Amino acid sequence: MVKVDDKIEEAIKEIFNGDKPWITIVWDDPVNLMTYVTYVLMELFGYTREKAHELMMKVHAEGKAVVSTGSREEMEHDVARLHEYGLWATLQRGDQAI
Amino acid sequence: MTINDSDEQHGFHRHGENAFIAEFSESEREVLINLVEQIIELLGERADNHVDDPLAAMVGITSHDSPPDDEVLLRLLPNAYADQVDAAEFRRYTESTLRAKKYGHSLSMRITLKSAVDGIVEVDHDGANDWLGAMNDIRLALGVRLKVEQNSHEELELLAPDDPMRGVYAVYSWLGWLQESLIIALMDEAI
Repeated sequence: MVKVDDKIEEAIKEIFNGDKPWITIVWDDPVNLMTYVTYVLMELFGYTREKAHELMMKVHAEGKAVVSTGSREEMEHDVARLHEYGLWATLQRGDQAI
Repeated sequence: MTINDSDEQHGFHRHGENAFIAEFSESEREVLINLVEQIIELLGERADNHVDDPLAAMVGITSHDSPPDDEVLLRLLPNAYADQVDAAEFRRYTESTLRAKKYGHSLSMRITLKSAVDGIVEVDHDGANDWLGAMNDIRLALGVRLKVEQNSHEELELLAPDDPMRGVYAVYSWLGWLQESLIIALMDEAI
């Protein structure tokens, strides 16, 4: 049996699970204005006002919402942009419990 | 999240296709300059940020990967992953870029304020986004100091008149109102 270290195992997992999407989650924050969260989602993701408002309400009511899905690289990009505008966001594998 | 419903003043309003205007008193302008300069200072190089490799520094890689010790900085530069190892790796490659972007928003806000000697600030869409990001960073910073997480707005309204946090809360609320006025002006365009 070949012994591979965690990094390699992760990379192999990545190859076979390549199509499994990653997700970006926005978490509720007591400071950010509701209108601001809606505006940032429209501005960064090009969402319609309705979709952005719906996601904002989900964050507000449930404490979190998945705002985008895609490859790990894409989600890292999304999280970085959300952080730039002060939203509290993280990314993780889509099949992982939130 | 929070709702801001104060509307007795004017704040930002749309002026034509791509301009947003607000008029500030001298004292308001001074408060805004003071706050944004504090954020600029805070976002400047982290004390623990020793970059030994100039090439790494050029491409934005920092030698540290631990989250900031300061509570305010941690809120401004949060972890991107719940997993600590992934979070550290991501921070190592992206934190300096994030810091530079936020720094840019604040510098842009400062320049507009500094040149608005008559108190009239005019920004275009991109400038407005800089202002929103910078105002939000100021509010996040004040929010950490006010412990907005634990304290409800009702409790903060009831702070004693001699409590220094009362003044901080007044500025925090005013900024929320100002931010909201700019968002509403921007959203008009989006309809």
